[in-house]
Parts: sequence; structure tokens; C-alpha cells
Amino acid sequence: MTTAIVILPFAGALVVWTAPLSRFWTGSLALLVALVEVGLWINVLVGFDFDEHGLQFDQRVTWFSDLDVSYHVGLYGFSLWLVGMSVVVMAAAIAYGYWVGRERPRVYFGLMLFLLGAVVAVFSSQDLLLFYAAFEAMLIPLYVLVGVWGGPGRLGATVKLVIYTIAGSLLMLVAVIVFGLSQGTFSLVDSGTSDNTWVFLGFVVAFAVKAPLFPFHAWLPDAYRESPPEVAAVLSGVVSKAAVFGLLRIAIAKFPEPAEDFRVPILVLASAGLVYGSLLAFRAVDLRGVIAYSSLAQMGLITLGLFALNDAGFNGAILQSVVHGLVSGTLFLLAGTVERRATTGELLRLGGMARGRPLLATLLMTTGVIALAVPGSAAFAGEFLILAGVFRQGWAWAVVGAIAIVLAAMYTLRLISAVLHTRPGSSVSDEALDLRPAELGVLVPLVACLLALSVWPAAISDTAFPDNEPRETVMENFR
Amino acid sequence: MRGPDVTWYLAVAGVLFATGSLGVLLRRSPLIVLLSLEIMLNGANLALIAFARQQGDAEGQIFALAVMAVAASEVVVGLGLIVALARRNVALDVDKLTTLRG
Amino acid sequence: MVAPAWICLLAPLAGALAITLLGRRISRRLAGLLSTGSVAVAFAAALLSFLAALGRDPDDREATSTAWTWLSAGDLEIGLSILVDPLSLVMMLVVTGVGALIVAYSIGYMHDDPEERRFFAYMALFVFSMLTLVLAGNFLILLVGWGLVGLASYLLIGFHHERTSAVAAAKKAFIMNAVGDAAFVLAFFLLIVETGTLDYAGVFGRADELSGTVATLVALGLLGGAVAKSAQIPLHTWLPDAMEGPTPVSALIHAATMVTAGVYLVARMHPLFEAAPSVQDLTAILGAVTLLFAGLVALVQTDIKRVIAYSTMSQIGYMFVAVGIGAYGNGMFHLMTHAFFKALLFLAAGIVIHALLGEQDMRQMGGLRRLLPRTWVFMLVGALALAGMPPLSGFFSKDAIIASSLAAGGGLGYFLFAAGLAGALLTGIYTFRLIFIVFGGEPSPSVRERLHTEHGEGPVSMTATVAVLGVLAVVGGAVQIAGIWHPFADFLDPIVALEREHLALVEPSVTEDWVTSALAVGLGLAGIGIAWRLYGAGRREVAAPRAVRHALEHKLYFDELYNGLFYWPASGIARAFRSLVEGPLIGGSVTGVSSGARGLGRGVGHAQTGYLRTYALAIAAGVAVLALVFVSVR
Repeated sequence: MTTAIVILPFAGALVVWTAPLSRFWTGSLALLVALVEVGLWINVLVGFDFDEHGLQFDQRVTWFSDLDVSYHVGLYGFSLWLVGMSVVVMAAAIAYGYWVGRERPRVYFGLMLFLLGAVVAVFSSQDLLLFYAAFEAMLIPLYVLVGVWGGPGRLGATVKLVIYTIAGSLLMLVAVIVFGLSQGTFSLVDSGTSDNTWVFLGFVVAFAVKAPLFPFHAWLPDAYRESPPEVAAVLSGVVSKAAVFGLLRIAIAKFPEPAEDFRVPILVLASAGLVYGSLLAFRAVDLRGVIAYSSLAQMGLITLGLFALNDAGFNGAILQSVVHGLVSGTLFLLAGTVERRATTGELLRLGGMARGRPLLATLLMTTGVIALAVPGSAAFAGEFLILAGVFRQGWAWAVVGAIAIVLAAMYTLRLISAVLHTRPGSSVSDEALDLRPAELGVLVPLVACLLALSVWPAAISDTAFPDNEPRETVMENFR
Repeated sequence: MRGPDVTWYLAVAGVLFATGSLGVLLRRSPLIVLLSLEIMLNGANLALIAFARQQGDAEGQIFALAVMAVAASEVVVGLGLIVALARRNVALDVDKLTTLRG
Repeated sequence: MVAPAWICLLAPLAGALAITLLGRRISRRLAGLLSTGSVAVAFAAALLSFLAALGRDPDDREATSTAWTWLSAGDLEIGLSILVDPLSLVMMLVVTGVGALIVAYSIGYMHDDPEERRFFAYMALFVFSMLTLVLAGNFLILLVGWGLVGLASYLLIGFHHERTSAVAAAKKAFIMNAVGDAAFVLAFFLLIVETGTLDYAGVFGRADELSGTVATLVALGLLGGAVAKSAQIPLHTWLPDAMEGPTPVSALIHAATMVTAGVYLVARMHPLFEAAPSVQDLTAILGAVTLLFAGLVALVQTDIKRVIAYSTMSQIGYMFVAVGIGAYGNGMFHLMTHAFFKALLFLAAGIVIHALLGEQDMRQMGGLRRLLPRTWVFMLVGALALAGMPPLSGFFSKDAIIASSLAAGGGLGYFLFAAGLAGALLTGIYTFRLIFIVFGGEPSPSVRERLHTEHGEGPVSMTATVAVLGVLAVVGGAVQIAGIWHPFADFLDPIVALEREHLALVEPSVTEDWVTSALAVGLGLAGIGIAWRLYGAGRREVAAPRAVRHALEHKLYFDELYNGLFYWPASGIARAFRSLVEGPLIGGSVTGVSSGARGLGRGVGHAQTGYLRTYALAIAAGVAVLALVFVSVR
């Protein structure tokens, strides 16, 4: 079943690239594949036993046995939720791309499907080489998507994105090889733990670039600004969580002692990113800038949760990963709709869009309010757990988190007011329409998921790890 | 074993090699450099043969033959290059032939 | 008792959702009725719950109910639970009762606004949030209610979002409340570590075991949140700006309910506060300081709503004094009566503003007692209640607090007593300054121009609701007459019973009551007299030393201080980061990589000299080195 979820998008991509279909049929096929993916995921969700330890729905086919490399995919509780968030956000992104109408649709949709397949492969792979291959495979479609369909500065953005990510990944490749050879197997399930600091750091740096974590985030602002909105939604919401998965499943679970040793420096970097991102979001000049830097801050927060290395921290990190994926995806898609109407994302030229556009105003306000983690929202639940977890490691981290709560309120309200309130900006004309039914069809399911999670966050926090014992599960190598 | 000790042969080979190296390093005409290169190769050959005689087996001599073959080919190429240069009236001075610089 | 409480909680939410989802499909009028209806249903449910509680034994009036687990991690489990007990019942009744009246009033007040539906949805959302706050059964749900109330307040203050000032005021309110939330959250983490739970029952049961430092820190965090929500010094600057919202909003949120949440909090958390006596004293001191500060600033306000806003700040100061010395019953009593007469004042002021087509500057008003006679009566009743004149409700509740501070004794008690009395004087002055300026003298030209009374003083919805509040303001004090009859305090007793010896004496003696009342009423009358002398004959301004006047007009420069301490540094640091760190980091990293690679290449390229002899030398040297290595290794 997991293989079906992994292979289907690749098959779809192949069909889209080779079959000479019209724009309408190509888009419909891509959207259909994405929705079938969601359906398959729901199927797995229903059949999943959240109390069982160990991998579920796994398939394994040995590739070469002398190094013990295999095609091994399977799902844990938390990876199930990450896959779910990914397929939902990607379905919304594909729908948005379909609605907006991209040039060269066959290439475009094929790449989006390929990206979907790679992402799902990352979250479900249980073999290090397969993980590495999928991790790198995510980059190929992103490179083309940003480089061809992006904004005016797309070439520079692409170069930065690719160079940074590849640099990190090369370190990871070395780490993968050393680890695999020293353990005698490349399987994540069969291999034990190690206390090799350098290999640990190799993995951490690669994931730190992907997340991104301060100060490895130089690729972030340009990439998020120049990508088409749906690609930015996927980059920020889904691809960054691959780093979270890697940190949890590989860096922490396989290297418990180095993780403890490096806990404090990593927490320092994470909290620095949290505050730094929040401050820069507060003073960003355009829509994309605010959302991009807030993404940086949120990834810092999630890393804070991961390296708290305790129950609340892990649960909070997984919950927040899912929530942030949905929030960030929705925000970028909303930014896309605003930019289409105003031809610009610059905050100084926007304003007054709430007049006569109740749907846009309501959705933007709802998403914004959830993004700033108003108490009662799912984001608040995640943030609370993370900070509660990290508080046990030292009160200073939680104080930093509390400061970030206030900063988040400041930058999000600034964003909302700059778009919706006071006088109509110079780029906003009265003819700019409210959200169309198609756009609602893309955005409302995302917001509905967020609201559902806000009412019942325990759906994720209770089930991400068996018996709700994250620390034991992770620190004992997922036995 | 008749004749002088191996050491003498090695000494002569060494002198030949040293002369050749000095020639390669210090002379400016490519022709002379090639010539010195040949002298170096001959020195090496001599050493090979001397050791072959000392060890009593023919491996060194066969290797010397191989070296002679290589030397001959290389001289052909080298002389051909120098003649081509001379025909184009390019100065035959190693210090002036620096087009392939980094 | 519990089932009606759930209905009470969820009815306003249902109302808000219905209005939002139905959007333009329902008429504006219907939206208003839907909103009022849902709050009225909530009030009925609260009443049912209350009656059910009365039917039980005094010791058996507490019940909790959990819907489902909201969040969990390892050993920590937090459910969606509510707690129904006398304290929450009192708050439920006040919130839904006064709320229903105010939402009904809004039907008339907001009649001309095209965005009415949005307003009613927000009002219902607010009532739901406030009920979540008072019904919460654990700290986290309390925080959820707390935050949602702040959100609703933001939405309602910024309702007229074309106005930059309204949007700015809304943001300011939300962010100050967020600061309070942050303080809360830190206190919660400490509680989780020390007690392992966030349920009220669990935490209060273990309140005694907390060490002094931990208890103090937790109480401080809670106090921080309470101070932000209740607009006490030092987190008070948002309240006057919040008057940008429509008048019903000011009445409901910034007088009757939201701002009193801090008082409710201290009463609810009293085991924790009693475990940290220094923080309790701080609560009382802050209340007293705010009481005086707000009273002074109210003296120079020219906007009718701001006078009432500062008056609210001041009265909440009284409530904080009460809960700070352990007189929880009196504090809640004043909360209730204040809700009545303050809402009355705001709504009556709303009638004035509505009749004058939006004019809020008192200097443009005057002589309205003949033109708006019924409103004049309402406001007079409200003003007298506020000034603490017998036999109106304010007399009983305010004097109870002042008497309690006298009874508490000690240096702190006497300070609080003096402050309370001084406050009574100030209250008389500023309240009647308002009355005399607005209603006394002759109608100003602006009034003659704008006043529209063809249809009576206002729509029925407005005048009827104000009348009801007027009645409540008069008779509301009847539930507690100090020393003689105290069903109110008795009802609350099981919840707020004091267990600490040093707080034993907060029941004032009869003598203390009489002395206090005499002094307070006397000072109040004196204040009225002063106001009459200064403003009675139609005078508008009073000479005062320039510096003092400036200081008060700028509200003692708190806004400027906070701007300088927080906003500009944050902005500045952000800008500095952007130019000094982000710029070089982004630009530098990629150009750095490329120029680095190029430089490396150039450096290495120097070895390609092009000279044959260099290469030959290199070969020779290399051979020599190798030979040496071979020889030495051998």
C-alpha cells in the first residue's frame, strides 16, 4: 500500500510527460492523481494501528545484498501524518496551478507529480540510500519549477537554492556512506545507533540547510519570493518537513549521544532563528517576505521542539510540522490570489482589500489568526507543547519562545492590516474580485483541516508515537 | 663474474644521468634538451643492464630494450615538433615558448 | 447543572457560525436578532444552571465535565473541560445577561452600518470566548478563552477598519494582551513541571507544596496576564485607544466583561495567590495606583467615551484592591454592579452620540438635559451609582471594598483605604464634570445643528435596554448589604473560602462599615460639589498648571515610554538585522562561493607558468624527494 502511494505520482508524471493530452486533460489527470493519493492515504489512515510499535504497511525488496541496500518503505504514526499533510497541500497546490493556468502544462504537471512522489518517498523510506535518493530527487523538479515559472529574479534564486542544498546533501552523502558501511547495513530499521559525532553533524548540516535553520537560510527569501505561489507553498510547507523527518528519524534516533551533546548549540541556533525570523518578518516589505521569514521562525520553533528531546517536545514538533505545513501552504496560496489581483505583493501598495471582498477577508483573517497561534488554534497547541518541552531543558528557551509569541502577533497583524485594512492601496482597484469558487475550492479544504485540528489536536499528538511515549520510542531507535 | 665491479657501471650511469639532467634544466635550445634527455635515458639503460648482469637474469636487459624503443619514439615526435617550429621561424628558445600558460 | 452550562457556552458560538456561514443570505436585521437570540439562549441556560445549583447543598455546587482530550504528550493530558461552580455561575449570568442587553441595543445602534452582520457575528463570538474563559476547567482552556477574547476584542475595536486609528488601536490592544498571554504561558510551564497537570483541581490541591519562589513566579505570571487584560498599570495603554470601537463594544468588552476577566482570574486562582502573599500585595497596590492614576487622567479628557473608559480602569482598580486583600466576595460584587452601571453609562452615552450623529467631543455638547430628557435621567442614575451614592448599587459594592481595606489593617491596608477614599472624591469630580458639561448649561451651536429627535431619543431597542440597565443599576446592590444581608457572599463562599490565617480579618466590622460609608459618601458629594462649582455654570475649561495639565493629557507619557522601550527598538533591531546580517548573508554566500572558487582556481593556476624549465625542475625535485623518502623509510 505504501508503495502504491509512492509509485502512483511517478507513474502519473510519466503519463503526463509522454501522452499528448490537451491542457484540460493534463491538468485534470494531475489533479485526479493527487486526489487519489489523498484517498489512498485516508485508506492507510483508517487501517493504521496507532498502538503498535514498529513499522506498518511496509514493503521490502532487496537491491544489492552485499551492502544490504534495499527498496524499503513503510510508515510510522508520525510519518503517516507528515505524508497526509504533504498529499493534502500538494493536491491544493496542483489544483491552484491548474486554476491559474501555467504555460507548458505537460511539463509543469509532470514535475509537480514527480515532486509529490519524491516527497512521499522521503517520508516513507526506511533505507538510507533510498532516503538520500528521494531527498535529492525533490530538488530536481523544484529547480525547474522555480527556474522556469518563477518571477523576475528566478535565476538567482534557483542558483542559491541548488548550490546550498547540494552542498548540504554532499555532506549527507558522506555521512550516509560512512554510517551504512560501519553498520553493515543501509536499512534504517535494521541498523543500530552510533556515537560518531562527525557523521551526526554531516546529517544535521544537510537538514539544517533544508529546513532551513539559521544561519543556513540564505536561499530562503529569494526562493520563496520568486517561486510561483503554489511552489512556494510546497517548498515551505512540505519540503521543509523532510528536514524534520530526517532530524527525527536519522539524526536523533540513530545518534542519541551526539544529539545530547550537541543539544545546546542546536537549541541556540534554533532559538536564534526563531527570534531572527520573527523580527525580519515584522519588517519585511512584501507579502512573500513576511511569510518566508515567519517560515524560518516556525522551523526554528519545530527544531526547538525536536531537540528538547522529551515527550512534549517531540509531540509538539510533529503537531507543529503538520500545522505549519497547512498554514504556510494556505498563506502562500492566499498571497498568490492577492498578487494576482494587485499585480504586486509589496505591502505599501496594498490595503483596503476587505471592502467588498468578505470571502478573502474572512479566509485571510482566519488563516492569519491561526498562524499567529491564537490560543485555541492548532498552531497554539503545537507551540505550547514545544515550549513546555523545551522549558524542562532550561527556562531561558521558553522565555525566548514567549517573546516570539508576541513578535508573531506583531508581524501577522501587520500583514493582515496591510492587505485588508485602511484605504485601498495604489495597486488595489475596485474591480479586483473576491475569491472565486475555484480558489475557494483550493483554500477552504486547507482551512477546514486547520479548524478541525484546532478542535482536536490530540488526533495527532496522541497518535504520533505508540502509547504516546515519544521519548522512549525515539531514543530507543524506534524499536 | 669478469670485468669491473657493478659500482663502476653505476657510477658511469649516474654521471650520464646527472649530465643529462643538467642539460635538460640548464640549456635553452630544445634540440639540446632533447639530446640531454637521450643521455639521461642512456644512463638509466646502463644501470639497468649492469644490474641485470649482476643479478644474472635477463629482465633488466629486456626492460632496457623497451626503454630504447620508447626513447626512439619520443625522439621522433620531439624532433618533428622542433623541425615544425624551425620551419615557421619561431625562436628555438625554451624560455620563449610559453603560450600554454595557466 | 452541567448540561445547561454546555448549552450556555455553545449557543453564542452557534450564533456566530450561523451568521458567518449564511453571510448575505440573511438580512441585516435577522443577523442582529440571531446574535441577540443566541446570547439570550445562553442567559436562559445560565439561569437554569444557577437554579439547579441553588437546589443543591452549598457544599455540593461544583461540577466538572470534559468533552474530549484536547492535547497530550507523555504524562501530560489536557482535556476540553468546563467547571461549573458559584464563581463561574456569577460570571456566566453577568456576561450573558448584560451581553444580551447590549447586543439587543446594538440592533438599533448599528442600524445604519452596512457591515452590521459582521458586527453581530463578532459580538456572538466574543460572548462565546468570554464564556469559555469563565467556564474553563483547566488552565489551558482558560488561556484559550483568554486569547479568543483578545481576538474578538481586536476584531471589534478594528471594526471600522477603514480608519487607521481604529486599526492601530486594535493592534495595540491585541499585542498588549499577547504580552500578558506570554506571561501566562511561562507560568503554566512552571506549573506543569512542578505539579504535572494543568487541571484546576490538581494544581490547587498542590498549591501548598509549591516552594515560595515557584509560587511567586507562577502568581507573577498570572498577574501579568490579568494586568494586561484588565488594563491596569503598567499594561493599561490600550484601553483608552480601544474606544475607537463602536459604543456597544466599549460597553460590553471594555466595561462589563473582558476587562473584568483579570479580577475573575485572581479570584479563581486564589490558592496560588495566597501561596505567594507578596504578589497578592502587589495586586492590591497596582489596583490602588491605577485607581488614582485613572481618576486623575479622567479629569482632563474631552472625549465622552474616554472619560468613561478611564473610569472603568479606575473601578477595576478597586476590584483589584479587593481581590488583592482577599475580599473576593466584595470584589466580585463590585464587578457585578459595575457591569450594570458602567454598561448603562456607555449605552446612554451611545444614545447621545447616536443622536448627535457621531459627535463624541464633550466640548461640542451641552444643554442636552432638555433635549434628551430620558437619557439625562439614565445617565444621572448611572453617574450617581458610579459615585457611590446610596441607595444605588455602587454605594454598597464600592464601600464594601474600601471598608475591607480598612479592616485588613497594616500599612498596606491603610494606604489602600486612603487611596479608595481619594478615588471616591475623584470619581465624584470627573463623573459629574461629564454630566454638567454634556447635560448642563445651554445647547451649543453644534448640538442645535446635529440633534435629531424626531423619532424620540433613539430606537426602542436602545432606550428599552438602557432602561433595564438603569433599573439594575438601582436595585443591583440589594443582593449584598454589608453586615446585614449577604446572600451574594454566601453563595460564593465555598469557592473563595480563605484558608490562610493572615487573611482572616477581611470581614469589616459594623463600625468600620459605617465610618467608611460616611467618609466615602461625603467625599463623593464633595466631588460632585467641586464639579458643580467648576463646570456647573456652563464653563468648559479650568485653569491648571500647564505642566500638570500636559502630563495628564498625555496620560503621564506611558505611550511614549512604551514606544521608546519596545516598538522602536524592535523595529530598529529588525532593520539592523536586515542590512547587517541578512544582506551580507544572502548576497555574500552565493557571490562568496563563486568568487572563492574563482580565487582558488586563480591561485592554483599560478603553477602553470608555461616555462618548460619550471616543469622540468618540478619533476626533478619531485623525484629527488621521492628518492629521499624511499631511502629514509627503508
